[in-house]
Amino acid sequence: MAHAHVKRYSGIMDWLTTVDHKKIAILYFTAGGFFFLLGGLEALLIRLQLMYPDQHLFVGDTYNQILTMHGTTMIFLAAMPLLFGFMNAVVPLQIGARDVAFPFVNSLGFWLFFAGGVLMNTSWFLGGAPDAGWTGYAPLSTDAYTGRGTDFYVLGLQIAGIGTLIGGINFLVTIVNMRAPGMTFMRMPLFTWTSFITSTIILFAFPAITVGLVELMFDRIFNGNFFEVSKGGNVVLWQHLFWIFGHPEVYILILPAFGIISEVVSTFSKKRLFGYSSMVFATILIGFLSFMVWAHHMFTVGMGPVANAIFGIATMTIAVPTGVKIFNWLFTLWGGQIRFTTANLWAIGFIPTFVIGGMTGVMLAVPPADYQYHDSYFVIAHFHYVIVGGLIFSVFAGLYYWWPKMFGRLLNEGLGKLHFWTFFIGFHLCFFPQHFLGLMGMPRRYFTFMPGEGLDEGNFLSTIGALLMGVGTIVLLVNIVATSVKKPHAAADPWDARTLEWSIPSPAPEYNFKQTPLVRGLDAFWKEKMAGNKEMTPAEPLGPIHMPSPSILPFIMSIGLFIAGYGFMYRTFVVSIIGIGITLICMLLRSVFDDHGFHIEVEELQDKGAKA
Amino acid sequence: MSAHQESSSAAGQRHRHEGPKNHYLSYIVSIILTMLAFAAVIYGDLNRAFLLWFLVILALAQVIFQLAYWMHMKDRGHTYPILFLAMGFVTALTAVAAAVYWMWW
Amino acid sequence: MSTAHHAAGALPHEPEKATLEGKNKILGFWFFLGGETVLFGTLFATFIALRNQVPEGPTAQELFNLSTVALSTFILLTSSLTSVLATMALHRHKLNALLGWMAVTVLFGLAFLGLEIYEFTEYVSEGHTFTSSAFSTSFYTLVGFHGGHVLFGVIWITLLILQGMKKGLTVVTAPKFYVAGLYWHFIDVVWVFIFTVVYLMGKVG
Repeated sequence: MAHAHVKRYSGIMDWLTTVDHKKIAILYFTAGGFFFLLGGLEALLIRLQLMYPDQHLFVGDTYNQILTMHGTTMIFLAAMPLLFGFMNAVVPLQIGARDVAFPFVNSLGFWLFFAGGVLMNTSWFLGGAPDAGWTGYAPLSTDAYTGRGTDFYVLGLQIAGIGTLIGGINFLVTIVNMRAPGMTFMRMPLFTWTSFITSTIILFAFPAITVGLVELMFDRIFNGNFFEVSKGGNVVLWQHLFWIFGHPEVYILILPAFGIISEVVSTFSKKRLFGYSSMVFATILIGFLSFMVWAHHMFTVGMGPVANAIFGIATMTIAVPTGVKIFNWLFTLWGGQIRFTTANLWAIGFIPTFVIGGMTGVMLAVPPADYQYHDSYFVIAHFHYVIVGGLIFSVFAGLYYWWPKMFGRLLNEGLGKLHFWTFFIGFHLCFFPQHFLGLMGMPRRYFTFMPGEGLDEGNFLSTIGALLMGVGTIVLLVNIVATSVKKPHAAADPWDARTLEWSIPSPAPEYNFKQTPLVRGLDAFWKEKMAGNKEMTPAEPLGPIHMPSPSILPFIMSIGLFIAGYGFMYRTFVVSIIGIGITLICMLLRSVFDDHGFHIEVEELQDKGAKA
Repeated sequence: MSAHQESSSAAGQRHRHEGPKNHYLSYIVSIILTMLAFAAVIYGDLNRAFLLWFLVILALAQVIFQLAYWMHMKDRGHTYPILFLAMGFVTALTAVAAAVYWMWW
Repeated sequence: MSTAHHAAGALPHEPEKATLEGKNKILGFWFFLGGETVLFGTLFATFIALRNQVPEGPTAQELFNLSTVALSTFILLTSSLTSVLATMALHRHKLNALLGWMAVTVLFGLAFLGLEIYEFTEYVSEGHTFTSSAFSTSFYTLVGFHGGHVLFGVIWITLLILQGMKKGLTVVTAPKFYVAGLYWHFIDVVWVFIFTVVYLMGKVG
């Protein structure tokens, strides 16, 4: 077999050209982490402005920019990339594969997200950030009412969204086609299952926002009339398109989180997950139902009682499979040998917090009640409970859990516990009062409130809570830095865990598995341990391992679309054509010059003591 | 993983089975269904609601033929394509329902 | 990740599915088509919502000429047939027939595009421009997106023909030809809905 010339880069070129899912995971975590800090800063600015009544720190349009970017950044540039980071780091390892189905496309997905995120944030320096809320409702978001900031929103999200869509397709094919022998669907770990359903949701939800953004772009840049009422347009159309995407989007955020909790809770109870089949079924049902409820964001727009009733009831039904999951986690913990590691603290903290968020969700699902809650702080409290208390707590759990597999080091447990308690207490202090602020009538997206209306104490407490969350985040950063200066020392399986990723060294070697493992049951690695084996039984003999070649093209393609974005924004279409042209030429190069990859030879593997 | 090994006689049988006849049949059926649709609009003196449903059904019939024969969806090994295209279609239908029922009042 | 191992000289029966990469590409492309279904579905939803919103400019009934549409439909349908004949040549390992049928498909695609450009210029001269009304914007967006897909397909298949001439039919090039065929069929499927929902229903009113 002819071997391609081995292209190996080092330093920054290594990171720019990598197609290795493990390195791409680290890129996602780094970028997502950076945007999380940016979004957190924006949150702190909001809370500082609202600490006391009638303050003038950030008012008017400035405040609108901060709140819009806080939401947009946190959802699209922080939460989603962090989840893609986990999916990249963990899924191929959990299914016994050597990489994802399309390593090149994987890299492209990251660079497109990054290009979109950077594009959106350059708005701060170029005349102002988007200011129409993360939901960008028409007609406010049309060029009749907002300036170039919204163009940054439209184009940045469009570019980042393409990255997410191709990432979803990648994981779908990976999970369907590349599972190790013996790993049937019903033997897959829950995190892989939730990644699979999440990728399905991505596939069907993102095209809706793509179309919505195209229509908004056409209205703004080319004088289209989708949302131009005087020419027959309809602004409710935007709401439908946005929420047909937007509701499944929040399930995209939470399902991988549910997967992380399942892994962490069962590992640290030393017990297999209770009710595996019902967990799988519940995940599928949640995925399906997520597409049937979007208009619960539109109860007050005037669709009428029939529509409101349908969507209200459909929304409440999602509580059922979600409740099944909560009970299964509790039954997993019950009777287990529980270890309160930091990862498990986050998972256990997640459970009541998410349940509270879910409860307020059912309250919001009642249309006549929602007429009171809509656009008040009650809604803000609800979604922060489910997104922060649900998603972010799980992300933290996953970080502490899988850090050794990614970096070969364990995050410090003492600092971890400090991180947990400060952030957990700060979170509840920040958002619990907001339920009551909402019930007392405080509207959302307002830059101030007046004294003497009973809102002072709640807002003050909320800001203290936010500051405490900031402290907790700093503790995490200190932990990360302090850990990274140590030498890698983690065992392959520091937690005595159950799934395949723990059967290989920490950090995982470049090729993941020297020999593809043979899977004999659910919790594949635990099954082997219970049979007295220290390692997985291989499913193939030792042989040269074929690896995909690195490539700079994804990076360049993303730069092409980045340039095109500016061209559209400044209505200089020559620039757009050049930018799109760069991207298309790279696609052509990729098609014409086939990648034959390179091989890692048996001798290199045998150095590491493989059995032949 | 090693390539698909087939004995030549089995491959030959598969070739015979996969003759162009089915594809030409689909083509003719598609043309007929299309002509029916156009004829119904140009010449038909039909009740409007009935006509609209008739057109939709003709379109669906044609699409199913094309998917089954030209895109091989009737062949084995197409569970995922069928499932995912169906799910995509259902999602698209919810968007159409929104446009028809919940946009103008 | 595996490279293709095949008996020296002999192509397997379905060469596009002979490697893991080939199977991945085909499955991945089907998933992509599932997403495209939603993409066009939402464009259709937008069009259906706005199709009667014509405060200015001609309406669908006044505008559409069904004989042009019938001709376009016939051309695209025939091109879909020729692309399936190309796939059959792929399975019979006949490179020249494959490239030949793909070339015919491209020609039909170009004819379709030419007809559509002619149609659009006619409409513009009749006062139906992108900016006239919500109906017109959604018309040009939906039909234009479809046309854009046809254009992309024409360019893609042409480049594949050139690649085929250079590299021949292998287990590496076969998935590319197969996937392009799927794409072409899909845009014909979308057209069935376009002529039904936009043109025929437009004429009915």
